[in-house]
Amino acid sequence: MNHISTILLALILLSVLLSLRTNRLMALVKLMAFQGVMVSTVPLFSGSEHGITFGLFLFFFLMVLVKGVCIPALMMIAVKRVVASREIEPIIGYHASLFAGLIMIVFSMYLINHLQLHLLPPGHKLLLVTAVTTMGAGLILLMARRKAITQVIGYLMMENGIYLIGTALAGKVHNQYLVEFAVLLDLLVAVLVMGIVLNDIHHTFDDVDTGLLGRLKD
Amino acid sequence: MNSSFTPISLIPLLTTVALAPLLMAAILKVKACFSGRQGPPWLIKYSTLFKLLRKGSVYSTSSTFLFKMGPVISFVCAFMVLLFFPFAGLPPVLSFHGDVIMLFYLLGLGRFFTVLAALDTASPFEGMGAAREVFFSALAEVTIFTILVLFFRLTNSLSFAEYFSHNHGITLWSSSAAPVLLVVIALFMILLTENSRVPVDDPATHLELTMIHEVMILDHSGPDLALIEMGAFCKMLFYAAFITSLLYPFSSGFPASNVVIFFLLLTLIYGGVGLAESITGRFRMAMVPNFILTSFALVFFAVILTMELVQ
Amino acid sequence: MLQLVVIIPLLAGITVFFLPVNRGRTVLVATALAHAALTALEWFQIIGPLHNRYFSATPEGLLVLAILSFLFLWICLYSVFYMQETEMSKEPVFNACMLLFLAAMSMVTIADHIIMLWVAVEATTLMSAPLIFVHHSKEALEATWKYVLICSVGIALALLGCFFIIFSMTMGQVEAPITFSALHDVAARLNPAWLKAGFIFILIGYGTKMGLAPMHTWLPDAHSEAPGPASALLSGALLNCAFLGVYRCHQLMYAAGLGPFSSNVLIAFGLASMLVAAVFILNQSDYKRMLAYSSIENMGIIAFGTGIGGIAVFGAMLHMIHHSLIKSSLFLTAGNIFLGYGTKIINKTGAMMRLFPKTAATFVAGFAGISGFPPFGLFISELLIIFGAVKAGRYVVVAIFIFCLILVFAGASRLVIQMVFGTRESDEILVPEQWKRALPPLVLLLTSMALVIWMPESITQTIIRAIATIGGTIHG
Repeated sequence: MNHISTILLALILLSVLLSLRTNRLMALVKLMAFQGVMVSTVPLFSGSEHGITFGLFLFFFLMVLVKGVCIPALMMIAVKRVVASREIEPIIGYHASLFAGLIMIVFSMYLINHLQLHLLPPGHKLLLVTAVTTMGAGLILLMARRKAITQVIGYLMMENGIYLIGTALAGKVHNQYLVEFAVLLDLLVAVLVMGIVLNDIHHTFDDVDTGLLGRLKD
Repeated sequence: MNSSFTPISLIPLLTTVALAPLLMAAILKVKACFSGRQGPPWLIKYSTLFKLLRKGSVYSTSSTFLFKMGPVISFVCAFMVLLFFPFAGLPPVLSFHGDVIMLFYLLGLGRFFTVLAALDTASPFEGMGAAREVFFSALAEVTIFTILVLFFRLTNSLSFAEYFSHNHGITLWSSSAAPVLLVVIALFMILLTENSRVPVDDPATHLELTMIHEVMILDHSGPDLALIEMGAFCKMLFYAAFITSLLYPFSSGFPASNVVIFFLLLTLIYGGVGLAESITGRFRMAMVPNFILTSFALVFFAVILTMELVQ
Repeated sequence: MLQLVVIIPLLAGITVFFLPVNRGRTVLVATALAHAALTALEWFQIIGPLHNRYFSATPEGLLVLAILSFLFLWICLYSVFYMQETEMSKEPVFNACMLLFLAAMSMVTIADHIIMLWVAVEATTLMSAPLIFVHHSKEALEATWKYVLICSVGIALALLGCFFIIFSMTMGQVEAPITFSALHDVAARLNPAWLKAGFIFILIGYGTKMGLAPMHTWLPDAHSEAPGPASALLSGALLNCAFLGVYRCHQLMYAAGLGPFSSNVLIAFGLASMLVAAVFILNQSDYKRMLAYSSIENMGIIAFGTGIGGIAVFGAMLHMIHHSLIKSSLFLTAGNIFLGYGTKIINKTGAMMRLFPKTAATFVAGFAGISGFPPFGLFISELLIIFGAVKAGRYVVVAIFIFCLILVFAGASRLVIQMVFGTRESDEILVPEQWKRALPPLVLLLTSMALVIWMPESITQTIIRAIATIGGTIHG
């Protein structure tokens, strides 16, 4: 089981690095779908003490549906309707973003090694490193891209990272299905609302460049 | 940790080198297959070499002895690199501690002299190609040396013989499978870069402005061109054999299965190159560093995985 | 059962989406009345929450719920009259979102499970976003985008804080339901380092929603671009709900013995917010932005008071109540001003005394209230906070506190005087004022005055019960 979780986490880290270097919007959305599926399946294999019950399995199937199908579908609809050029417009460039992602991996390894996590079984180190990296990379994407839609994708990646931290630190929450379902619903509605606002931004500004959103200042 | 000289390994080496042009034709056949054509005959590269050897060379009056030296040195370097590589689990012809570093610098030396010869012609196209080639190779070197760092971490040795030619070599089937998988992918990307394949450079383009490697050898002719072509075959063979050795644990000794699997995998790799050439388009020049840095990111990530696993 | 305060507005909101405008307005007001009735029932403990696993009725939650309910009723009435004067292209969406927003905020007040609280706070962000860009102007869209993104990112960090708190349970080998009330009893056994980390992240997260500096950047834009009734609700009710999240975590810290740490952090953020507000309010050109910065300042005051402890916490709670009443009234009056002048720029308004006397009176009274003049409640609350700070011996911070209060008053008064008593070239007005629109803000102000003169014993007792958990008292 641990072997599979190592592979899953490695794949998530790879998807994080790839998402920082890509310059195509559709590729980014598909990467997020892939990442969502991987992130949803990690708790199944991370060796929680409660074992795999039917409820757990059902819930993670639901999560894969939302993170891997529904949210990417919403994003693809948004990209097709709203975006004129399918190129991501970076503020700090792809090479710099890729390096920033690599530095983020190193930084998260340093951080995790210096926290005394005596009670965690050894396999969880990679999980925490992946989680912190995903969160950091999500923040980088949020701040370093001009298109509003990439900001939504950065937010989704941040949420993935935080969910992974939850898996590592607060695994018991995953058994409280109502709570988890509520969080998932929140995420779905967030993407929906952001999509609606994006649509309106496109109608009003004819573009989703956040550089145009600079009129209100003191 | 010990140097060795195994002259008997020259036989498999020369055999494989003799088969290298055949394998290059495999790439052309795969590409043709994807576009629904028959493609050139299997022995095309041999006939090209013989044709070139029979021709005379034309030298520009503004070029110097460097122009004549370039092809010779590039071929010699490429061939010398193969001397140190273990084929199919057999010990390499030559081996000493630290030979991997020397190998990649040898390749660099060959590239250096090719570039010098290109600059020697004083043609602007060749200068442009030389600049691009050196830039991309410099980036690729970062990846290569990170791969060497990874291998050193895994085996504590710096010799190809130690990596591949005995039972505890570094392969996908060993304990460090995940990093090796990433190295294989990254090495494939480097293969495409160093050997001027699509998506980095289109070997079939006839527009000088879009060439990277081809434009450097534009003014060579006759036996010089034959030497350069052969050097390119050897270089491709080296990278392909490198990937092949990573894919399968060739045990020491000389079982026939080793040889069969080795050539099978080698053909597969060359076929994979053909596949990559057929399904991807050539990148914009500005995106090529992105491509190479991705391979670096993969290897860097593999190094991090080993740190995690070792901890 | 108490969960009805969430379920009824939720269902009503969904139905209003599909109803024609007039029916929608009726449903809006009816739901507000029903919500107020339910809150009253809960206040007098006639009903309680069902299924105590995720929800519970705490004194502080009840306080915020009561404020919310009362405010929503009057804002609803105002909104109905406001809509009659203005063209709003998607009014059913606006009304529906008002109700959904009410549902989400009610959920925040009764949520006990740490993550359910988080879900509710995030829901408030999402449900209130459509309220801001209802006019579809470029500035409104920019404000909405900033609001949604900054608040969502902040609240995501709050989720991280929640996970840290849950991890502190694991590290302390505590087995308990993950609710604030259950954690209170075992707080001493929680791992302090992780608890502190969790508190910091939760403060940053919910503090973003509350408008604490330096995470306040979305607030002036969002509160100024939203239409009058929505701004009133955002400033008067939403900030309180976010504060509730911070407060419950602070209670947990106090129960775990880490009170001094969280108090100092709260004081720091509170003072930072007040300083930021004081600096930025000085040269505002938009009166709604001025009011928004005043909200930031007041939230800073509440955080400061909570941090000081003792009698200052009582002051902070009073401040929360009165600030909601007075600020909502100010924003509703601002809505009237916007209808009358058609602009939000201060320089284009003026001579309000002459053109809109009722509005001017309410506005000046509201401004006096928000600046801390008696007989409005903020006078007492700010005085209590200063008493508490001096008693605790924290002279430096109280000096900064008073300095910021003075600065904000100076900055805002210049603008208000210009608006009310200044000259104006033309006398043309867009919409004349009416009693029915001027009444709700007046009622809110009068409530604040009335509470000063006669505070019902049940409110005082509820506040005392709420603050007892962090060592707040009403006795010096």
